[in-house]
Amino acid sequence: MTLILHQLQPYHWALSGVLIGVITLLLLWLGNQRLGISTGFENLCSLVLKTAYFRRSEITGSQAWRLPFLAGLVLGGFLSAATSGGGWAPFWDLGSFDRAIGLGPAGKLVWMFAGGLLIGFGTRMAGGCTSGHGIFGIANLERASVESTLAFVAAGIVASNLIYRVGAA
Amino acid sequence: MNTALFLALGTAFGWVLSRSGASDYDVVQAMFLFTSFQLYGIIGTAVLVTAPGLWLLKRRGRTAFGAPLAVKPKPRHPGNVVGGVLFGIGWSITGMCPGPILVNLGEGKLYALGALAGALLGAALFGALYERFPAWLRLPALRVGTGDG
Repeated sequence: MTLILHQLQPYHWALSGVLIGVITLLLLWLGNQRLGISTGFENLCSLVLKTAYFRRSEITGSQAWRLPFLAGLVLGGFLSAATSGGGWAPFWDLGSFDRAIGLGPAGKLVWMFAGGLLIGFGTRMAGGCTSGHGIFGIANLERASVESTLAFVAAGIVASNLIYRVGAA
Repeated sequence: MNTALFLALGTAFGWVLSRSGASDYDVVQAMFLFTSFQLYGIIGTAVLVTAPGLWLLKRRGRTAFGAPLAVKPKPRHPGNVVGGVLFGIGWSITGMCPGPILVNLGEGKLYALGALAGALLGAALFGALYERFPAWLRLPALRVGTGDG
């Protein structure tokens, strides 16, 4: 299958997985940080919200590495699009969503906002996401991470089947 | 120096998430609908590469610059599963987990703005409610948090 971004052919999964593993290890070996993205939402919130929760040492102490790391994620996506041959341009294309559900820009923003709420609230309750639990936590043989990863993958399987094989069928 | 290192590693990670399909709505749906092995293969391989490297690094106990290695395991509590279920539904709805929200923004996918706004509000709500959750969730003390990453 091709990507929504300029119909690119994705890297082979084995190459992709090796690269992600190497980046995870470099982040620890060079930067002394365990991979994890979802706390970054709290780092961003803490720029505005000054309550006790957002002034925990885990937040104040990780601004210096997580904020540039998050900026890098945006930059990496930008460079990937800009150098792919198609060039960088903002777009609304959403692949199978457009074919099966077909909302316009405003509808997509509302749809994504609703899902985003669950992502922000859920990952922070779970204490991690695909990177912190699914990759680092499982690789470190942490029981919390194995349980959380099983929960979010199972919930995703149920939700996508409800959306595409029940709702949009 | 450190800022440049983390920016560079984030950029490399963002690039791979973009080009591997991990931040592609269709690849995520194909994982959840069992029509493509791509994302299972990516996560599985990443774990298989990280695990032995992590074991060696912890055994060595030092970073490349000689500092003591800090790998703090995440606390285990019922929130891991309850929050995981909520997150999984959000991952399915948006086709994005946290990293790819930012990668998709960088790629120019405008709908990712909705996901980012939702995720920030969701995290803010979670923080505001932290001390009001029911006791059976057994969330760690506020200064500890649910687990960072």
